[in-house]
Amino acid sequence: MKQYYYSDGLSTHGPFSLEELRAKKLSRNSMVRIDSSEKWLPAEQFPELEGSFGEETFARPDSFGSQTDYEPMPKTWFVESILVTVFCCLPFGIAGIVNAARVETSHRLGDYAGARRSSEEAGKWTKIGFWIAVGGLVIYLSFLAVAVAFDQF
Amino acid sequence: MKWAGLLVLGFLLVLIYWLVDPATSSYFPACPFHSLTGLQCPGCGSQRAVHHLLNVDFRAAVEQNMLLVFSIPYVIFGMVLDRIPNPSERLHHWKRTFYGRKAIFLVLILICLFWIFRNL
Repeated sequence: MKQYYYSDGLSTHGPFSLEELRAKKLSRNSMVRIDSSEKWLPAEQFPELEGSFGEETFARPDSFGSQTDYEPMPKTWFVESILVTVFCCLPFGIAGIVNAARVETSHRLGDYAGARRSSEEAGKWTKIGFWIAVGGLVIYLSFLAVAVAFDQF
Repeated sequence: MKWAGLLVLGFLLVLIYWLVDPATSSYFPACPFHSLTGLQCPGCGSQRAVHHLLNVDFRAAVEQNMLLVFSIPYVIFGMVLDRIPNPSERLHHWKRTFYGRKAIFLVLILICLFWIFRNL
């Protein structure tokens, strides 16, 4: 797959896939190049970018909030779900990891609402796993304490 | 309040797992998957592994649950990366490389492979 770079006039950004670059809503005269070529060309000379151009301003994807329709990626809960997987509740952890992958996929496609939904879903499963672990332990420890106490007398 | 409770619980757990080896005691909770099927899940051995880690015996910990031992530095690094405000382009790149979509799928596959091969 082709990788794209673009310049905002000061520094180069990339590599991006075509979908990612289209989601940046570059202006027609932003300079773009593909990885196989050293030559910079105005964005409008790439037919595959047609229809994705934004307003006059340059896209600044790294300064969140300066652009109305770009959203930073929501929390994926990836590492937290790994913890849940190995420490406690395998099914909940796996559900968390799968939803973490969905967050990435949706965000990459520019489906920010979908990414947020998957993020909530991932967080939900991770938290359920976490609280089951904590709750289970508390109940277990209190039963144990009672049992040990009865043993003593 | 919630965090104070969790902190106390965490401290208690560290103390218990540091002092007592779950392998020699029957008071520790057993894995439901293992109890039902007799097979080991990817999380089986975590309690024993934590005991060995707290006693700085990495070899014994790896023998009990390799996945847990290797996932700890990975998880800590990921959590730190997540919490750095205004990450630089390089940190972004690391995040995409080690915790991006491909990495997630790779981790899922590794967990499943670990699950299968530790039972063979």
